[in-house]
Amino acid sequence: MATESESRAELEADRSLFLRRLKGSLFEDLLVAATLVGILALVVLFVLIGLDAFGLEAASDVWYLAYFAVLVTPMSLYTLYVRRRPAVAAVNARAFAVTFGSLLFSLTAFAVAEALEPTDVVIYFVFLFGPPAAVLGYARYYGESHLTGPAVPASVLLGLLTAVSVHGPLSAAIGFLLDWVFYLVFVTVPMAVVFGAVATRRSTARRGQLVAGIVVAAGLAGAIIGVTTAVDTSLAVVLASGAVAPVGFLIVDTVENHPEGRIGLLGPAILVGGVVVGASIVTRFGLTGPETWLTPTLLLDSWSDFRPEQAGIYPQLVGSIIIVGLMTFFAFPVGVGAAIYLEEYAPKTGVLGRIATALDVNISNLAGVPSVVYGLLGLALFRQGFGLTPGIVIAASVTLGLLILPIVIVSAQEALRSVPDEFREGSYGLGASRWQTVRNVVLPEAVPGILTGTILAIGRAIGETAPLVMLGLATTRFSVPDGLFSAAAALPLQLFAAKGNNIPEYRTGVVAAAAIVLLVVMLSMNATAILIRNKYQRDETQ
Amino acid sequence: MSNRKSHPLQRDGLAARKELLYEVLLAASAVLTLAVTVGIILSLLGGTLSFFSGVSFIDYITGTDWSPLIGEASYGVLPLISGTLIVTVVAAMIALPIGLAVAIYLSEYASARVRSVLKPALEMLAGVPTVIYGYFALVYLTPLVNGFIAFVESASVVLPVVPDLTGSIPTLRTFNVLSASIVVGLMVIPMVSSISEDALSSVPDSLREAAYGLGSTKLDVSTRVVVPAATSGIISSYVLAISRAIGETMAVTIAAGQSPKMPFFPNVLENLVQSTQTITAAMVQIAGAETRSGALYEAMFALGMTLFAITLLMNIFAEYVRRRYREEYN
Repeated sequence: MATESESRAELEADRSLFLRRLKGSLFEDLLVAATLVGILALVVLFVLIGLDAFGLEAASDVWYLAYFAVLVTPMSLYTLYVRRRPAVAAVNARAFAVTFGSLLFSLTAFAVAEALEPTDVVIYFVFLFGPPAAVLGYARYYGESHLTGPAVPASVLLGLLTAVSVHGPLSAAIGFLLDWVFYLVFVTVPMAVVFGAVATRRSTARRGQLVAGIVVAAGLAGAIIGVTTAVDTSLAVVLASGAVAPVGFLIVDTVENHPEGRIGLLGPAILVGGVVVGASIVTRFGLTGPETWLTPTLLLDSWSDFRPEQAGIYPQLVGSIIIVGLMTFFAFPVGVGAAIYLEEYAPKTGVLGRIATALDVNISNLAGVPSVVYGLLGLALFRQGFGLTPGIVIAASVTLGLLILPIVIVSAQEALRSVPDEFREGSYGLGASRWQTVRNVVLPEAVPGILTGTILAIGRAIGETAPLVMLGLATTRFSVPDGLFSAAAALPLQLFAAKGNNIPEYRTGVVAAAAIVLLVVMLSMNATAILIRNKYQRDETQ
Repeated sequence: MSNRKSHPLQRDGLAARKELLYEVLLAASAVLTLAVTVGIILSLLGGTLSFFSGVSFIDYITGTDWSPLIGEASYGVLPLISGTLIVTVVAAMIALPIGLAVAIYLSEYASARVRSVLKPALEMLAGVPTVIYGYFALVYLTPLVNGFIAFVESASVVLPVVPDLTGSIPTLRTFNVLSASIVVGLMVIPMVSSISEDALSSVPDSLREAAYGLGSTKLDVSTRVVVPAATSGIISSYVLAISRAIGETMAVTIAAGQSPKMPFFPNVLENLVQSTQTITAAMVQIAGAETRSGALYEAMFALGMTLFAITLLMNIFAEYVRRRYREEYN
């Protein structure tokens, strides 16, 4: 009897154990399902919008087969190969980032400069960056003094004022020059300086000069190609020095310094090659492709409210880029400055400490203010405050800048907080002042974190619509903004405005394609931020 | 660097002044954030006060008709508030449980590798521009939901056991609350999940180990130890997410329509099927109107003030909950 009841108790214990296990695994499944709901929603969103934007349903089976053969299969095989080799994967990631990053950068620089007049851009560029570069160069050769630090912002300010005052006569004086000369000045020269500096740091000054020389030569070669052929000379200059030169630098650098990973260079080549070969097959055999809405017309033309196949978003896209670029120019220094003050300077106790706590609380409250309300702030500020029409570039930039300010501050604060105190103490121990500690020790450590947060904030600002609606930005404009006080259009706003269009092709075609453009911008921002984060997280653990 | 003669621990006057200059500049950028808050309050207050000099406050706060653009303007805010609340409640019903489940999964169950993939992917839900969410709801989600309803109704034809539902489930209008609320819920999931996950993972491991030592299963540890210990963080994430849903603008403007309505009662489901207008959508409608002057222009500021007051109170409440009920572990 005793044994029977014991085994029975065991059995019951077993059953309760089974039930507990079942409960546990059901709970875990539930959690996984909830997580997948979020991911699935994203996938559905991307797939449905993508299907409409690319019009993939119209493509014939042979088309799919062709691209499967020349693009999907090689890319998959290559990915499988790369996955198991970390050295190759690292080079592969860099190759993709450099190739497409520099291409996007060059095209953006070209489009923005075309919109703002290359003459103006070059004048402001020279006067904005020339003086501080001169100050820093002087300090480099004749020794830094206490005046060097303050002299840099002072020279920037001076340069800006000079640029504003001499802008008129100067642009008339240099207006006879061809456009591509200007592009040579503000794309090729900085590129040469940057790559020269990188090469100098990696090896010798001689090498740096060589690299800089090669970049300039590439720019000039672009100009020659442009002049002799039908290609737009300015675009050729920009692409040669902004995209071809970096890719060349990457190839040489990889072969020299990371030869074990050089297979990784093939990634972008396989992708681009697959697309090109696929396209040539499609035209050669006359295959029925997808009825895509993501056409050159969409990217390079201006909007049309009546003919969906002629609607383009070029003014809106460039407008968005200009607005967001200017916004970064305002919000980044102020946001990082505020974060530095709150983390590094503000005392923890006393009256100032209380004020700092109050500022902290205020910033977290600002982060929770709805974006429409920022639009009202911008409206009141520019319409009542300055008496301007609020639908202009600078109003949009300032409003969006105020909107992302709390996000930038909070992420910069987190980055600064994660710098260990030993670093600061070591710096103070060597006799450095507080500012010297911040500039030479804390900031360099915190830069990746600050950049990650800022890039995410910029990505958010690009898609922000509500404040722009409140400001009364023009929904549709047919030209790109040509100055800070020029009326602007923005891509998300055009998407919103197209809501009222009753032609069905807009909702399921043009808007979907424009949404894909916006999503690609946002995704590449996020990817950049994640890349920076991963790169520096990995470095820290090493 | 400088070899001037001075006390070894004292910097010369120029250096000290330079230090002070930098500190003042940095402090100025920090104080600018205060100026933003003051600016927001002043600009809202200015418009709001002149609005209420023309429209009575009582009419505004108790009026059940919002029609500023058609015929004789009428500014009763109640339909807008009810529209906002309905959207927010439905969005919260989606985002709060899912967000918490995601947070528990990421903090207690997922491996570091899985977490490093899922977290950025989920963050993207919050990164997708809200205009695109609006189109997604209008163009894709509403037909999907209607298709699903039609499928459920047709179930009785295939399975005679199921009662005949044809016509008993209303189909969604082109502009409707349900789709708008679903996308608003989706976009605030990351807000709930990331703040809650921070709270969950800051619960010290000693608590988990003690519970395991007493013979608890992982389920018990998660639901009876970790989640209760992190309640303050979870609640504050809930409040912040709801506040974000209240202030959400473009998705509801595009997908929920422009027709303010008082809630349907007792036929509650009708509220989800019909279009409505939220506070934010009303502001956008006025901003897009042909003439923006006088009371109409100021009405935007009154609405903005209403919205600002609601969200500010909720944010302060979230902060209070987080600080007041935080369990301290050392």
